[in-house]
Amino acid sequence: MATKKVVIIPCSGVGKPFGTITREAAYQVTEDDRPEDTRLVPLSLLVLGDEDAQAALTEAEVISIDGCALICATKMARESGGQVSRAFNSMDIYRANRDLKPKGIAELNDAGLELARKLAAQIDQAVDELTGKADGNA
Amino acid sequence: MPELKQKKVGIVSCSGEELPEGTVSRLAALKVLEELRPGETVTICLPLFLAGGEGDRAFAKFYPTIAIDGCDKRCAYRATEKYSNTPAAGIVITDLIKEHGLPVPTGCRRLDQNGLALAELAAALAAEQVDALLGKQWSSRQGQFLQSEDRPQQSQEPIQATCSCGSGIPVQKLMLDGQEVTFIALPLIFQQFAENQKAPSAQVLDELMNTVKLYNSLFPELEKSARAEIANAYQIYWNAERCQNG
Repeated sequence: MATKKVVIIPCSGVGKPFGTITREAAYQVTEDDRPEDTRLVPLSLLVLGDEDAQAALTEAEVISIDGCALICATKMARESGGQVSRAFNSMDIYRANRDLKPKGIAELNDAGLELARKLAAQIDQAVDELTGKADGNA
Repeated sequence: MPELKQKKVGIVSCSGEELPEGTVSRLAALKVLEELRPGETVTICLPLFLAGGEGDRAFAKFYPTIAIDGCDKRCAYRATEKYSNTPAAGIVITDLIKEHGLPVPTGCRRLDQNGLALAELAAALAAEQVDALLGKQWSSRQGQFLQSEDRPQQSQEPIQATCSCGSGIPVQKLMLDGQEVTFIALPLIFQQFAENQKAPSAQVLDELMNTVKLYNSLFPELEKSARAEIANAYQIYWNAERCQNG
């Protein structure tokens, strides 16, 4: 069982709404839903090999949230020495909810925010499983 | 460095999720890309320098870049420099706060008014840098670049952030002494040379090789082979172009 907080790494994507969805979902999990059990690590720090950011990944459960098929967050987490326990992709959430068409990068539309909430709910569940709090064990 | 495509400026932001200043950098970059200079700028996600391919890492070799960072770690500037090329300019949000005596922003997820004002300021500064790099003059009244008489009017491009994800810079692979070598930008270089009516010749090949070396590091032992293969590939390209254009 994890002794450190579960690390959440969103993709930082700046070119498509799917990147913003990962960012929004990461904030929802780390700020609103599971602040006691999670911490957010910026991908930009890992890109440069920041030692503190890399240390945060050591012996921690890591959840990556990607926004496209290039899966930068997952790749960077692994390159930085992290063990990715769960890998999510906002495009998968969209595929399962095609009626929700996300728009906006600086500011998501309502559909994008709803996708982020759905993604966050899945991540919450994963966090609970990784911390042993699933199924009412909290 | 030759201009291979319509010249644009690359905007790279740190997007750091941990600090409000990271969100400011992200919003400032998006404001330049989507509103202030949509036709003149392009972006790349910072992690793509590592996670992407050769084309992605060549980003800053093709575009003069402006890095917008949230803090003095300057991840965007340093990563661009480390993995691609030295940015032409850099803006650091925490420096802007000090220089202009502005209040510190709050709210990583939803910026407060201070953060939004900072994003406006950073975006305006970045837009000025774009103009300087492109040698163009922006008309605030007309909301477009002032056109010189001899400069053709450019068509308006869709107003959205131009992302290089998955597109990158075109590459071409050639077999050199039994090993496959990827040449960044080779298709664009061929295109440029052909458009300039540079028919294959020994002199043109010298020029071609000099251009290829701007974007590609060649091992000395492969240079002879590379020269022969590139000459061959350009001849094929040239012939195909001539056939296509009659």
